[in-house]
Amino acid sequence: MRNIITIWKKELKDTIRDRKTLMAMIVMPMLLMPLLIVGMGKFAEYQIKKAEEQEVKITFINKDSAPLLVNFIQKQDRIKALKIEGDVEEFVKNKKIDAGIVIPQNFEEAIQNQQPVGIEIIKNSINEKSSNALARISTAISSYNNQILQERFAQQNINPNILSNISVTTKDVATEKEQGGFGLGFLLPLFIVMWSIVGGQYTAIDISAGEKERKTLEALLLTPAKRMDIVFGKFLAVASAALVSVVVALSSIYAVISIFGFSPTGQENIRIDFSIEPQALILLFIVSVLLVLVFSAAILSIAIYAKSFKEAQSYIGPSYLVVIMPIVLINIMPGFKPSLEFFLIPAVNAVLLFKEILISTYDVSHILVTIISLIFYSLIALFIATKIYSKEEVLFKD
Amino acid sequence: MNSVVIVKNLTKEFDGIRAVDRINFEAKEGEIFGLLGPNGAGKTTAIRTIATVLSPTDGTAKVCGFDILKNPERVRENIGVLTTDIGFYERFSGRENLKYFGQLYEISDQALDTRIEELSKILEMNDFINRKAGKYSTGMKQKLAIARSVIHDPKVIIFDEPTSGLDVLASQTVLNFMRKARELNKCVILSTHQMPDAEKLCDRVAIIHRGKLVADTTIEAFKKRTNTSSLEDAFLKIIKERHLNGKFYA
Repeated sequence: MRNIITIWKKELKDTIRDRKTLMAMIVMPMLLMPLLIVGMGKFAEYQIKKAEEQEVKITFINKDSAPLLVNFIQKQDRIKALKIEGDVEEFVKNKKIDAGIVIPQNFEEAIQNQQPVGIEIIKNSINEKSSNALARISTAISSYNNQILQERFAQQNINPNILSNISVTTKDVATEKEQGGFGLGFLLPLFIVMWSIVGGQYTAIDISAGEKERKTLEALLLTPAKRMDIVFGKFLAVASAALVSVVVALSSIYAVISIFGFSPTGQENIRIDFSIEPQALILLFIVSVLLVLVFSAAILSIAIYAKSFKEAQSYIGPSYLVVIMPIVLINIMPGFKPSLEFFLIPAVNAVLLFKEILISTYDVSHILVTIISLIFYSLIALFIATKIYSKEEVLFKD
Repeated sequence: MNSVVIVKNLTKEFDGIRAVDRINFEAKEGEIFGLLGPNGAGKTTAIRTIATVLSPTDGTAKVCGFDILKNPERVRENIGVLTTDIGFYERFSGRENLKYFGQLYEISDQALDTRIEELSKILEMNDFINRKAGKYSTGMKQKLAIARSVIHDPKVIIFDEPTSGLDVLASQTVLNFMRKARELNKCVILSTHQMPDAEKLCDRVAIIHRGKLVADTTIEAFKKRTNTSSLEDAFLKIIKERHLNGKFYA
């Protein structure tokens, strides 16, 4: 036991003295998280704003057949009508203009005679500005339509309200907290999983493959410390580093959201009610710790197998994908309802559970299966790490 | 004098290749025992097996009465090994490196401080012991490695090529350290292919060649038997004979 603590303390001290590991463990999560969250929101906001403010270029064909309509559309904001010479379809295709409005010859006549009349809009669906133009033209035309109808009703002394008999308003039963949780439900679990790997990765490599590379491993094995104690001490050091990372990342996210708010889509700034209940927070923490334990033991096993820092990195790199892919898949599957078996898959189970906790849904069977399976996996991973640590060919492969 | 290292039929195979092939020898307290052999003869593997870092394929060894298979932790407590490839925690000072290993030998803090002072004095490390080990020269590293290997004051000291790559001054410090250990009644095993060093220091020598022990005797008897005047000539002669005649046995 004393040896475990000695090794644990030494490895942490060594980690703290290393700028590279310190970067990965503390600085990166501290800076990257705010940057990602704020940056993503701001970027989306900027894109939407840009699209809204952008002026679209349109043109009319047979402009003279509907002077009133043309005038009405031209008066709309951010629509610019251009005169062109040549084939309109060609122009729209080449994105020189965003939309063309084809007005039939008999337009005014039909309106006067109160007959239905159609106009054709030429658009290009692979030009985003074109859809924008279409939307703005449609809005303008429907206002124009209303205007004409109101005039007609007025002429015949009919109340114009006769048209608008059904109006729709919405009321969201999801509380702000639930909305916030839902919005964060994808990002937060992903970050926790990510930092529980990244945070411990450098420490893990440094104290296993790095120890081989620096040729300190043999001296360590020559001490009376049991192999199991060595693995355990190192494992605790990796787990501590990873946990620090996760906590730093989460605190940083919390700070950023409480200052800037959270707007993943940029459309509206959801003010998140962050008053997570204490039991949810505890649960979140327990599952995070277990997740950290699983990954720490797994990374340590991989890293001790490698004989150099570089080799270890090239093994651990692809393993990210293995962990992250299922999580992303689950998140992009529409309406995915996880059955209980999904809570047996490490990392996936934590992500699913985090999501549930964040929207205040508690399913005891999900919680239990997740916790028990994570404990089971960390024991297995630790067992494997110990086994690898007693393999001569792994320790002394040159 | 007691035999504190007793090696019996020790064999170590890697993927079916015998790196150490049924070797037997004994080393006593108060002597320097030379384990000689060309590069790749199996000296380092034999040492690693005796020190319980590797486990034997067959045979066994006893260190201070503890069997390497039954009591590996006790064996490691009684043995100090200076390995050929030495490395340190480079972000730690020499002192911190020594402290860490001392703690793993479960030496109390106070005793450890005294021991570090003592070793620092003997090995002339006072000038650099508080500097980061990553900045050490080869000679400094070797001294620190020696200090680390004997931090727990073991009864058995095994030095594997301790003077390779060292200048004359540093070599002298290492050789003197071994003499001093002998005076303190330690059992010192020197593994080397530097015959002049061995001739100066060793009381008895064993020669390992291709994993097999081909001689185990005093230097004088060895020279006499091969009819040579120096250990180096005797060594060369016996190695060459082995090459010419695979059936040669000492």
